[in-house]
Amino acid sequence: MADTAVRTTTALLAVEDVAVHFGGVKAVDGISLEMHQGNIYGVLGPNGSGKSTLLGAMTRLTPLTRGRFLLDGVDYTKVPARKVHRMGISRTFQTVRLLDDRSVRDNILLGQDTLPKQTRKAAAMQVDEVMERVGVREVAQLRPDELSYGMQRRVEFARAIIGRPRLLLLDEPTAGMNTAERKEIGKLMRQLCDEGITQFIVEHDVEMMVDTCDYLFAMNVGKLIAEGDPHDVVRHPAVQEAYLGKGAASGA
Amino acid sequence: MSDWYSMNVVLIQTTLTTLLLALSIQVPIRFGVFSFAGVGAFGIGGYTAAIAMVHLGWTTWPSVALGAVISGIVVFALGLLVQRLTGLYMGMATIAFTLIISVLAVNGGELTGGAGGLYGALGEIDTGHILAILAVVVAVLVWTETKGMGRRIDTVREDPELANSVGIDVVKYRLASFALSGVIGGLAGGITTLLRSTITPAEVNFHLVIVALTAIIVGGARSWLGAFIGAVIFVWLPTMISFVQEWEKVVYGFIVAVAAIYLPNGVLGVVKDLIHRFRTRQERARLAVLQEKG
Repeated sequence: MADTAVRTTTALLAVEDVAVHFGGVKAVDGISLEMHQGNIYGVLGPNGSGKSTLLGAMTRLTPLTRGRFLLDGVDYTKVPARKVHRMGISRTFQTVRLLDDRSVRDNILLGQDTLPKQTRKAAAMQVDEVMERVGVREVAQLRPDELSYGMQRRVEFARAIIGRPRLLLLDEPTAGMNTAERKEIGKLMRQLCDEGITQFIVEHDVEMMVDTCDYLFAMNVGKLIAEGDPHDVVRHPAVQEAYLGKGAASGA
Repeated sequence: MSDWYSMNVVLIQTTLTTLLLALSIQVPIRFGVFSFAGVGAFGIGGYTAAIAMVHLGWTTWPSVALGAVISGIVVFALGLLVQRLTGLYMGMATIAFTLIISVLAVNGGELTGGAGGLYGALGEIDTGHILAILAVVVAVLVWTETKGMGRRIDTVREDPELANSVGIDVVKYRLASFALSGVIGGLAGGITTLLRSTITPAEVNFHLVIVALTAIIVGGARSWLGAFIGAVIFVWLPTMISFVQEWEKVVYGFIVAVAAIYLPNGVLGVVKDLIHRFRTRQERARLAVLQEKG
């Protein structure tokens, strides 16, 4: 649904032949893909397939071996990681990373601290609204270590969206949440998408990915093995083989 | 009060200068930098102020200011050199820097007075002056501990990768901590030297690292208030426990060990935790009432 109509325009994010090698290990090996504004993209893949490494490379935290990234056609491959946030790319992490000595509210405000003054002011004024949307307003004064893992995930999510990024990179955003919470977060992702925030999700939960994403990529051992409509991608023989092993595709 | 002040003026002034020294070590630690260069800055500030007074005939405050500026610049330059080091390696490099300052003082000839030190640098400093300088230093530190700046510094210390991902320039912050530590250490050295009228190479040594570290371990490493509590405890402790006589060092060591094991965030950390727990209990009670109504 995301694609053919919008693919004629410049991609919000273009990934061109990106590789991340750690010594002899090819964590990401020659990935090319495009993301267009106003869609939710997801990447599926078994453990060790290189999904999180790709996400880390997109934010420049993980150094590239080769390839390049273009945001709105502008190459930011050599831009330092600290400047990527200001360019409108925000992220969450695979393992929750919050400041345990600071309140929930403070943790969320951290997401807007380095943005340009006008954006920062607007974001700070919306902190209550963001907390309400993510469902953490009532625990605003508590510290993260006093919350459940699912609630901590929400705080991290709120920190990522408070600055209204153009591209939101989410690494397993619903890990540790129950089914109802997952649905709630999925609904919020859709709302944010409707507001123009493009999202790229790394997730294991196939059902959630199919329900939430407009377009799906699948990776295995550092390479892209399928992409397209989520329903088609999960039925793709290469994806089934990657998840269930040889023979699964033919048996399916 | 006045009698008490007169009797204890030396202890009071020592508390304030020890606080400055402890802050010069605490600042980089708060930024996630395990640096003891503040003690080297103490030496640079002390010697510079003494040289300015003795050899150049400067008055008290320009001499102290010169010491603070030069030590700030030198420690900042050291930061540029060692910024890529972490943990123990950073600690070792900055202790070596402090020892080098001491060796330079020994070999400085007439300029530094050699091994015997420099004498006759008696400044016109009273408790009010030190308090005024401390007020400025503390105001700057409060700014670095609260609101957005406090959040960013906490992030630089706790999780540099997260800091990068939210747009914080970790290297810039860490270098700033070197400069700030240098200025504060330089002020401590300059004021201490001009109060006592003398400085010797033996004073710029590892024992100052221990004094500063124990003050912030026991008091609390996350806030200037912790350093203040630590400075008060360790400057006044010897008079409080004078009855133990030769066991004083044992008691001192016992307190530090207990604090390090049982109070990881110092005395201040315990107080803050208690306040937070009290507030949390109130907050949870409020939420429970809201839920019942809802």
